[in-house]
Amino acid sequence: MDFDESSTKLIPPEFLAVVLAGFGNEQVLLPLTGNYGDEPSPKALLPIANKPMLEYPLIWIEQSGIRGTPYSETSFTTPYTSDASSAFPTLRIDLQTYDESQGLSVGTCTILRHYAHRIQRDFVLLPCDFVPAPSFSLTQVLNKFRTESTYDGAIATACFFEGRRPDKSSSTDEWGALPTPIPIVWDERTGTLLHIETPDDIDRNGEEMELRMSLLTRYPRARLSATLHDSHVYVFRRQVLDALQQKSRFDSLREEFVPWLCKPQYQRSKQEKYGRVLSPSTNTLTQGIALRHSTLHSKSPGHHDTEEDFLRSPPSDGQNEEHSRSVNPLLIDGEDDDEALDSLRVGLVVLRANTEYAARANNLHGYLELNRHFLSQTVYSLPTDPESRSLIDHKAQISSDSMIGHSTKVEERTSIKKSIIGKHCVIGKMVRITGCVVHDHCVIADGAKLDGCILGKGTKVGEKAELTRCVTQCGYEVSAGENTRNEKLDVSDWAAAPESSEENEDEEGSEEDSE
Amino acid sequence: MVPPPLLDVQSQSSNGDALHPPPRSQKQMTKAERRELQERQRAAKAAKATTAAPNGVNGKHAGIKPGSSAAMSNAPSPRRASRASDAPTRPSSLSVSRPTRDSRVPQTPHPAPSSDKARGLRIFAHFGLPKPVSVAKGEIHPTIVRLALQFSNFKITGANARCIATLIAFKQVIQDYTTPPNNTLSRHLMTHLSPQISHLVAARPMSVTMGNAIRQLKLEISGSDIDLPEQDAKDALCHKIDHYIRDRIIIADQVIRDTAVSKIKDGDVILTYARSSVVEKVLLGAHEEGRCFSVIVVDSRPMLEGKKLLSILASAGIQCTYLLLPALGSIINEVSTVLIGAHSIHSNGAVFSRAGSALVAMMAKQHSVPVVVCCETYKFSEGVQLDSFTKNELAPIGSMFSSDRHARSQDASAFQNQPNLEVLNPLYDLTPPSCITAVVTEVGVIPPNSMSSIPLALGRF
Repeated sequence: MDFDESSTKLIPPEFLAVVLAGFGNEQVLLPLTGNYGDEPSPKALLPIANKPMLEYPLIWIEQSGIRGTPYSETSFTTPYTSDASSAFPTLRIDLQTYDESQGLSVGTCTILRHYAHRIQRDFVLLPCDFVPAPSFSLTQVLNKFRTESTYDGAIATACFFEGRRPDKSSSTDEWGALPTPIPIVWDERTGTLLHIETPDDIDRNGEEMELRMSLLTRYPRARLSATLHDSHVYVFRRQVLDALQQKSRFDSLREEFVPWLCKPQYQRSKQEKYGRVLSPSTNTLTQGIALRHSTLHSKSPGHHDTEEDFLRSPPSDGQNEEHSRSVNPLLIDGEDDDEALDSLRVGLVVLRANTEYAARANNLHGYLELNRHFLSQTVYSLPTDPESRSLIDHKAQISSDSMIGHSTKVEERTSIKKSIIGKHCVIGKMVRITGCVVHDHCVIADGAKLDGCILGKGTKVGEKAELTRCVTQCGYEVSAGENTRNEKLDVSDWAAAPESSEENEDEEGSEEDSE
Repeated sequence: MVPPPLLDVQSQSSNGDALHPPPRSQKQMTKAERRELQERQRAAKAAKATTAAPNGVNGKHAGIKPGSSAAMSNAPSPRRASRASDAPTRPSSLSVSRPTRDSRVPQTPHPAPSSDKARGLRIFAHFGLPKPVSVAKGEIHPTIVRLALQFSNFKITGANARCIATLIAFKQVIQDYTTPPNNTLSRHLMTHLSPQISHLVAARPMSVTMGNAIRQLKLEISGSDIDLPEQDAKDALCHKIDHYIRDRIIIADQVIRDTAVSKIKDGDVILTYARSSVVEKVLLGAHEEGRCFSVIVVDSRPMLEGKKLLSILASAGIQCTYLLLPALGSIINEVSTVLIGAHSIHSNGAVFSRAGSALVAMMAKQHSVPVVVCCETYKFSEGVQLDSFTKNELAPIGSMFSSDRHARSQDASAFQNQPNLEVLNPLYDLTPPSCITAVVTEVGVIPPNSMSSIPLALGRF
């Protein structure tokens, strides 16, 4: 007799979470994501504060109660996934790999199209590199989506956050230009995302921003902002995938598809063309009859009789925006199914900077900033594990705002300030490390000086080398006495020289697009 | 006169016996000194009481005004306020920042609260504000989760709308339900539905219509045939739900509409309050029939539902006037009939409706204007309700009603950050049967006194 009558069987799961864990834009995060010998070093596993980056979105998903199956789209297999499944027992993690073929860079849209048949319900799309503010819960975005998709047929909800101004001295331009946030237009009162500038728009007309009149007619109090970053967290309705299939030439979700998705809500031509796809009449979650009887809901004439627009009293305070959706007037008997053309809105949740810090680690600056942010949250104390304790010399000076992984050996008279050191590192004597992020298994010989560097896994730094604001690939060897500033050091000469360098270029396919 | 006794006495008792300075100092004091000490203590106590008293008096006045039921006299309300102040529970989330109440409160002869921050919410302290809905993981059907969000954000409001929305959501839940092994649908489905219902109630207190509908649904479930295959039983239940909606709401509304339309004559001036789905149907129906009449829509904050009704009626071509509740007195002389809707109707004939309708009914009665309540029979509640204090609901403050665009973002923050300000928005009030002329239901036009007899028998089919 099976007593385990899990009630979850009676409840269909509501959302599916899809995590994109690709490589990101290769120019930006290389050489960190370059190969480590033959093994790839994926962006998703780069550690932030000594926890793999992928863990943050997974924890976030778990807290919001989604039990679904997050997909990780990667092109490799890692030992992490087995850890992940055990670390998150309530999530059923399903790893899907998408093999890139011959160096074609693959956009996120392509991947979604590929897996569309496996996604059967409303889904949340997350990047692997978004670290949310601790007070910001995914449930907020989900609730907004839930409310709006039932109330007036919204099709998606996005989340934008206000970025913190970066510290000028901490990063240099050699690492790549800081991404400028893209201007967006949104309506604050209803939380609707209206317009996102795409690179195509900027190419076409770099000086002006073109907005449709229908947008402004519907939302006269829209706001324009160029300080908000896209968190790449989207909640979509299932029908959006059908629309995606129709737009086969779109490659990037963030840059092309989502801006396009904002258009049908006010642009009539697109609405007519895609309205049926985006909100098919078989959608059974409608509460049309109830909404007709609801006292705070008012009808608006359907979109077909716009010639009577001038007869309709304009929404005087704009208060009707939210409540007046196209629902048939009350007198028509309740038997006809409402050809409610849904509003096809795209909702928006804006996370303000003064609440908490959220960021994406999709470029080197962001990565460093996030690490620094986590440093400021913790206070270092010597490890309690006796074995690790013994490895750290008592004469080493470790400041309280650093983090050191376990089994790391630190020898005497080394000073470590404001840095994150990974596991199993060996740090020699008289080393000065300031403001660095050192990954696991690094070996830093005596007398080295590191300032503001990011060292990939297994980097070896020779004696008395000085590195300032450098980024090294995994397994790179810095020779002794080398003095490098502001450079990205990647291994160009491995043992298997020519093939591996070609492989490096081939593996640089990006699965997640850049800014 | 006499040197300050206490301290000197204590310093004089220097023989180290620090355990009993107070009694010894009392004995050592002269009678005058003791009296001075007593006076000082009494003055201190009175000072504490007076700082609370002005606030208490203000609280009494502030508490009485929102009690909008016209039948309330002032005498019972202070007593009621003090009774409410004795209520031990403070479920409101706003009470977290308030200091704990003194235990002296029940003993004070006049209802002066001792904690100065508590005065605003005391009168409805026993039902506080709705808490934010927390998602219970995994046990609540997603449709119910969404519906609860709609309720708590006031997207679906109105007795009919909420009932229909609940029933449709339950249809979805029933369709997705599978009977676990070793169980029958008729027994297990009810236990499956219970957490969903409590989730909805947590979002917003249940309306009488929802309660009646759910009771009927449970009756149907328990009566479902054991031998039916599961999908058939589920389909049968969904059909019954559909029939309930159709018969007791949609068709009932049509019958009411036809009955009420026959009461509207050409040249009438109809007054209605806020927005009722039934009254809206009646007015639109009368207009379709070609009657020539005009409508006065009376509205009140914070929900301002009358504006929506106004836009619908005006776009249908009916002559409308719009005013707020305080201006009612100036136009009541022109009104020929008052039509109001109801949230529920009780067996003593009292009508529970949107806050402010009792005022409208009372005013109309004073000016001999007939007050007609349009109400379906499924809104009948068998209890007897005498006032709107024991059972009511407070609307949360916030921009969710989006009434005034200038104040919308300032409203919430302005009202919530004031330490000396509490905002009360009761949503319902009770119209006593003496103010009502007739109730139009689908079983006929009934005087309010005989509410208990007829619909009770007919409502149980």
